Amino acid sequence: MDERMKIFGAALLVGALTLSGGCAKKHVNEQPIIEQGERVDDGSYAVAEARDRAEERQRQAADQRDIEAEALATCEGDVCDAVVRDEVWLGMNETQVLAATGTTEAAWNMRRSGGSTVMTPRDASMMPSDAVGAVAMVQLAAGAVSRYGYQESQGVRLVSSPDQATTEGRAAEMAEALLREGDELAAAGRLEAALDRYDRASILAPDDPLIDYRVASVLDKALRPLEALIQYELFLHRLDLERIEARGEASARLAEAIALAQQRIVVLERNR
Amino acid sequence: MKFNKAWSVWLAVPLIAMSAAACSKTNVSRIDPGSVTDLSGRWNDTDSRLVAAQLIDQSLNGAWLDRYADANGGAAPPVIVGEFRNRSSEHIPVRTFVGDLENAFVNSGAVTLVAGGDERDEVRDEREDQQYNARAGTRAGLGQELGARYMLQGELQSIEDEETSRGVVGSRKEKIVFYQVDARMVDLESNVVVWAGQHKIKKYIERPPLGL
Repeated sequence: MDERMKIFGAALLVGALTLSGGCAKKHVNEQPIIEQGERVDDGSYAVAEARDRAEERQRQAADQRDIEAEALATCEGDVCDAVVRDEVWLGMNETQVLAATGTTEAAWNMRRSGGSTVMTPRDASMMPSDAVGAVAMVQLAAGAVSRYGYQESQGVRLVSSPDQATTEGRAAEMAEALLREGDELAAAGRLEAALDRYDRASILAPDDPLIDYRVASVLDKALRPLEALIQYELFLHRLDLERIEARGEASARLAEAIALAQQRIVVLERNR
Repeated sequence: MKFNKAWSVWLAVPLIAMSAAACSKTNVSRIDPGSVTDLSGRWNDTDSRLVAAQLIDQSLNGAWLDRYADANGGAAPPVIVGEFRNRSSEHIPVRTFVGDLENAFVNSGAVTLVAGGDERDEVRDEREDQQYNARAGTRAGLGQELGARYMLQGELQSIEDEETSRGVVGSRKEKIVFYQVDARMVDLESNVVVWAGQHKIKKYIERPPLGL
């Protein structure tokens, strides 16, 4: 009898302890938002809606193709070539600009006053672009493009003459912008960054001896005398080859640079 | 009588064993891939589908598509899929929901999907091979790839919290797992994030003692 009581007592204790674990307070009492066995959305409704909107946009693309056809039907000479190349060009009309940039009017803000129209991108973070780059603005006078600008890493590059629209013109503009940036960096004491801009500018404008003078000056300031000396000598050497004509402001700047370069060569050679 | 008892025992034992074996037979059934089936509480197909559905809805309804179309004569934006990082403590195959997202992009026509990664390398190898081995008129041209304007990137993170309430024999385990999936569409030229999507899943996993 005692044995049975012991077994019964132990079983009771085990049961109670088990239940105490099971009845421990539940910490989270939120209702589930999806139950076992339910079905979840596979996104097909969103895809169908997006497909409808994509078809709407394709109609916009069809408008753009109409614009291209009209642009080609009304163009002549260089403008025609530029439309085919997808490049904005001086003398284009509004339709041809849209064709060259692959856009419709939805991409532009058009400001019209008198005979002039200025087209600027409607969304500054998503500029329309032609084969050359992102187009920041187009100005039309009497219905023909008189000026346009590209958003480039050095700022906006304006094109207002046929020379500036050529590859050489573009390189000269970019070199000019890089030199400006290099000068600002040199003035701020960021000599390595200034050298980088001058080096890049010298690739675009290899015939400009003043870039060599700038490089030499920065190397001189950066306490790199050997390299500075070579650059000063290179600057003077290239001037000799070019036979400077001492005329105008540019030559005056060169004369000053020549004198300074010669002085620095003497100093640097003495310290060598 | 004794003989009969012994025989009944000898017969009963194999019968019970056979019944037990019959119960443990492997059962396989094809079930709806869209059904919610949670077994362990870890990341599973349901979570993947939930994430995919949300990201599909958010990305295809985002304003970035209209903005791109307006600036580009109605064209669909060319997108390349970059890396989706799994920063959770679980092994999670992220390609399942990324694949769903890619399918939605292509099937909706709202996005032009450009192949990237290993897929692109394989295609380039084949194109390179064609330059030597394919008939002139059937060769895929070189340098004609479409440059993507946007890259889709993302990551998955998880936070876990658990507690065990102990009894002597049994203990109740409670666990909260929180998953957060973030996706971003980044402009390859300007680094501007033109769209960001997110989905969060919070799971409560309870294990009562002795199956109570």
